[in-house]
Amino acid sequence: MTEREILMRKLSTAEFAAADLELFLDTHPNNSEILEKADEYRERAEYLRKEYEKKFGSLTSDSDNTGKWQWIKAPWPWEIKKTEEEQ
Amino acid sequence: MWQYEKKLQYPISIKSPNAKMAKIISSQYGGPDGELGASLRYLSQRYTMPYPELKAVLTDIGTEELAHLEMVGTIIYQLTQNLTPEEIEKAGFQDYFVDHTTGIYPTSASGAPYNAFSMQSKGDPITDLHENLAAEQKARTTYDNILRFCDDPDVIEPIKFLRAREVVHYQRFGEPKQTNYNFHCISILSENTKILLISNSTTLLLSSKERSFHFVITSLKTL
Repeated sequence: MTEREILMRKLSTAEFAAADLELFLDTHPNNSEILEKADEYRERAEYLRKEYEKKFGSLTSDSDNTGKWQWIKAPWPWEIKKTEEEQ
Repeated sequence: MWQYEKKLQYPISIKSPNAKMAKIISSQYGGPDGELGASLRYLSQRYTMPYPELKAVLTDIGTEELAHLEMVGTIIYQLTQNLTPEEIEKAGFQDYFVDHTTGIYPTSASGAPYNAFSMQSKGDPITDLHENLAAEQKARTTYDNILRFCDDPDVIEPIKFLRAREVVHYQRFGEPKQTNYNFHCISILSENTKILLISNSTTLLLSSKERSFHFVITSLKTL
């Protein structure tokens, strides 16, 4: 796995954990233990998102573009992985 | 509103194209129990849903289904790259190919284009919730059926993830029974099933015979 893939996998894992706990909270809004866990994963995901975007570019169109419109840059999520040199 | 994130919910990287699998999996893109119908169903139902827990569940699951639609689209896209005409013919993919080339189009595996008749938004919380519980199981069965024909781990893993989400969503749709949705259930039944209760005085909702009898009498009065 490339560095990009490893970091994306970490970010996806944290985001998924947060989203799944948040969905649980929809039907268990008074469960403070899960609320705490969800916040923990959300925080971790935000940290990893910043790491990823710093190295590999924007995940959302309003991410930091640092003087250049990065949003149009490949890869898009459905595209087949190419080796880092090809990109 | 929504904001797009340039990432998949679960990673997909398919190395070997397989048009036959693409055709089968397309059913979860635009088939009767697919992700397009799932997201439309939940995101449409939420406007008339009276309970806060359920407004949140419909919004969040509806949103997740859009991410699943993108995953299924990605699987079909990657499975149909770099195919030769011989491979297309051998896989029986030429029927799809002649209409859409390798464009991603919402259709069932048997070729029926997406049809909103495969889903419902009824404006009745009991009806909609049961529609959703059934929908999650129908999607789960479809993923089970897809897995019967799969031998590529690059495809099996994301399909297994999607299958597992159907089970979790089913669970979430079943939980609001703990809220005042339960009372709603009883009042709706007393309104709508008078005739049924009169012809069959045993009901799942009322345990004792006496209560059941009283219920039927009250219902008769209001007829």
